[in-house]
Amino acid sequence: MTSPYLLEMRGITKDFAGVVALGGIDLRVREGECVGLCGENGAGKSTMMKVLSGVHPYGSWGGEILWRGEPLRAASVRDTEAVGIVIIHQELMLVPQLSVAENIFLGREPHNAAGLIDFDRMYIESARLLAELRMGHIDPTQPVSRYGGGQQQLIEIARALSKDAKLLILDEPTSSLTSTETATLLRLVHDLKARGTACVYISHKLEEIEEIADTVTVIRDGRFVGEAPMGELTRADIIRLMVGRDMSNLFPREAHEIGDTILQAVGITCLDPDNPARRRVDDVSFSVRRGEILGIAGLVGSGRTELVSAIFGAWPGSHSGEILLDGRPVRIRTPRDAVRLGICMVPEDRKHHGIVPGLAVGYNISLSVLGDLTRGGLIDEARELSDIDAAISRLRIKTASPLLPIANLSGGNQQKAVISKMLGPNPRILILDEPTRGVDVGAKYEIYKLIFALVREGLSIIMVSSELPEVLGISDRVLVIGEGRLRGDFVNDETLTQERIMAAAINAQPISELSAVSHS
Amino acid sequence: MTQGPPPAAISPAVAEAAIGERRRTFRAEHIKTLFSRYKILALLVAIALLWALFAHATDGDFLTARNLSNLLRQMAITGMLACGMVFVIIAGEIDLSVGSLLGLLGGISAILDVQFHLPLALNIAIVVLAGGLVGAFNGYWVAWLRVPSFIVTLAGLLAFRGILLGITGGVTIAPVSRPLVAVAQSYLPTVAGWILAALVFATLATTQMMSRRKRAAFNLAVPPLWADLARLAVYAIGIFGFFAILDAYRGVPLPVLVVIVLLGVLTVMARRTVFGRRIYAIGGNIEATRLSGVNVQMVKLLVFVLMGVMAALAGISTTARLAAGSPSAGSLQELDAIASCIIGGTSMRGGAGTVFGALTGALIMATLDNGMSMLGVDTYWQMIVKGGILLLAVWLDVATTSRR
Ligand SMILES: Nc1ncnc2c1ncn2[C@@H]1O[C@H](COP(=O)(O)OP(=O)(O)OP(=O)(O)O)[C@@H](O)[C@H]1O
Ligand SMILES: [Mg+2]
Repeated sequence: MTSPYLLEMRGITKDFAGVVALGGIDLRVREGECVGLCGENGAGKSTMMKVLSGVHPYGSWGGEILWRGEPLRAASVRDTEAVGIVIIHQELMLVPQLSVAENIFLGREPHNAAGLIDFDRMYIESARLLAELRMGHIDPTQPVSRYGGGQQQLIEIARALSKDAKLLILDEPTSSLTSTETATLLRLVHDLKARGTACVYISHKLEEIEEIADTVTVIRDGRFVGEAPMGELTRADIIRLMVGRDMSNLFPREAHEIGDTILQAVGITCLDPDNPARRRVDDVSFSVRRGEILGIAGLVGSGRTELVSAIFGAWPGSHSGEILLDGRPVRIRTPRDAVRLGICMVPEDRKHHGIVPGLAVGYNISLSVLGDLTRGGLIDEARELSDIDAAISRLRIKTASPLLPIANLSGGNQQKAVISKMLGPNPRILILDEPTRGVDVGAKYEIYKLIFALVREGLSIIMVSSELPEVLGISDRVLVIGEGRLRGDFVNDETLTQERIMAAAINAQPISELSAVSHS
Repeated sequence: MTQGPPPAAISPAVAEAAIGERRRTFRAEHIKTLFSRYKILALLVAIALLWALFAHATDGDFLTARNLSNLLRQMAITGMLACGMVFVIIAGEIDLSVGSLLGLLGGISAILDVQFHLPLALNIAIVVLAGGLVGAFNGYWVAWLRVPSFIVTLAGLLAFRGILLGITGGVTIAPVSRPLVAVAQSYLPTVAGWILAALVFATLATTQMMSRRKRAAFNLAVPPLWADLARLAVYAIGIFGFFAILDAYRGVPLPVLVVIVLLGVLTVMARRTVFGRRIYAIGGNIEATRLSGVNVQMVKLLVFVLMGVMAALAGISTTARLAAGSPSAGSLQELDAIASCIIGGTSMRGGAGTVFGALTGALIMATLDNGMSMLGVDTYWQMIVKGGILLLAVWLDVATTSRR
């Protein structure tokens, strides 16, 4: 029996304790083809891929999977890897302490006759593989933790390839990559395609889908919506299929009043906790006004996260500089101090810093305000639940129940819950570090609307973002950070372009020249 | 858009049928989820089986009211420690020093009684305060000085025992006064026992019914009424059975009463107080909790304070039970307490566990001790069996929770 398809998934159904996550989805992949899988947060993309890769074993889902025309009934990831299906998960799965080579060969370490690991062979093979992927600059003998999130993603891909993948599944691979790294990754996928490896590519960044996909499959709320060759679709078409309605304007800019200066940061310097000789942030000063949206742009690793963590009292290393709130100096040594002063932060790394995975969604949300919800020493359950309900409907968090562990939510919905949590204490200044990472277009729009609603109430927003269209789309003012230094402070008017921001971020133009165009 | 295939979204009915189909074919998975969902039930079944086994082997002697009362008294001390330990483990830490601390505090209590003739209330107050302070000391080292709790409390395990040997000169402190002995040897009058039983049941029944109303009000899944009524019936049988047995022999022993009160108070603390919720949050992800504006160091410190107070109660009970302060009191008790928590379903990774579970674990340990002693099993065999049971319990737990 021959089939034109490498993979056919037919009518896949999957429920979690009675809540239907997939209600009959089809997905087909031809040899050497790249299929873009699109859908909103919680649509079921990751679940679909977990079904395919055997994370959810055969029998725990319904429908049929055909691999080269033959039924595939995998009991575990091992079985699917054996036929050549390799998945790279949304969350990184490397062992940070082990070397790059050890990670690449984890579980399949080459060994010699005496049963000892053959490190020479492992290093040589890894180096060959990395060079082939144009990643020759990565040293296979170094621990993975030496490399940033983006490089680690590429290492994951090298690992996948060392397993001789016929079908590679990439679940939001670029959500923590810089634009250069993203370009490298996309080129890599192109190379692979040329070599005949098929792939399923999941991303909320539609420009990537446009660039890489041959066919697009769209799902919504666990149902199959449609499939079409990329050539026949525009970005607007995909959005319409995903969201179920037209979305012409991606950035709902709204007029809002900007008041007096509320926060001033003066000469913030952060030292690397492991290597105090290295300045991660070097003498950065800026100010934020009431009702202002301040965008912070710059390359990943340029010191933006360090800067805002220091302001929030969360930077682990030592730091110096002064913070003035309403003109008065304040001491912020812990996040608790910051929250009490009305400064809240939604951290960048959701998995490690944002969620308490085993705790219910609702209890994650109420964690920041629990102290205010007591009556007679006990938590007032009724009030807590009604606050949680309000938060869930305000941000339209998709969850079967407020008491479901948050780990079971899709990535984007987890993000919304974390934002809810940090809105709880009614901050005056809200710091958002990459707030729309892994969030779908519709939800992004909602987050932007929320940002505008908040500034209209007089909140100030500091938003770190690597997506320049987003920075330009909603900020009132843009700071550019490069190599730990302030490289520019621009008013966001018509003259500000992505090119100007990038130029400021990359090259070391003297600040004096920049401040000629910047706003005092 | 021209769609490649027909929009073959499967109809809900077909999807539902497919799901139903696989339900039938997937029994093993089903049993696993049942087991992991009703873990506590499984533990209670295990206790019932053990009791039946021992009853059979001892020709019914095991199941006499006298022996069961005795068993519960034996369990009380481990139970007190487990009540504190469960929160330490939920917070993602460990406390190896509690056995030595129990000995030290029990010794102090004996010295205060025998040498200084302090009245009982003052004696208890001082010892509890000392327990809290030592707990705070441990907690300070763990939370602020960032020394792993394993190390801090391992140091305590040695040092506290050393202090105890120093202050007692290595000899037993005896005889302790009557009031102190009464702490372990007195019983609640029968009438009071029944009133207590009725109170406990009434509280459980009202909270359950209130929780139904609340869940309905917030559109949460409400279990069917019959299920809740059945559960209440089980509670009623359990509670009244428990008190009936104890009353058949002299009444509720005071240490057992203390454990029952602790169970109630600490369960409310775990579920309904800010402190309790934060303990679970810290165990689940301390960084995320810290970044939510919680003073995580203080929470950790207080968890160790609670542990210290529990060690104080256990120490006083031990001294009262032995009617003496013994320099070896409490040796290896920390391991029994940890084992109780683990058998009772507390996750070593932190973030999950209940007081009821930990006490059930303690009851299993006490059952093994008591039953095997009655059968005259050699001590070395008792240790081997307890080790084996611990391993088995954790394996069952790991094997039945899903891989992710
Ligand atoms: N283990 C689980 N238990 C319960 N519900 C789950 C579980 N895993 C996923 N779900 C639910 O299934 C639905 C689909 O989730 P999935 O992670 O597949 O979404 P997604 O399309 O990948 O979204 P995102 O773009 O946000 O990553 C969600 O509503 C989620 O809450
Ligand atoms: Mg996903």
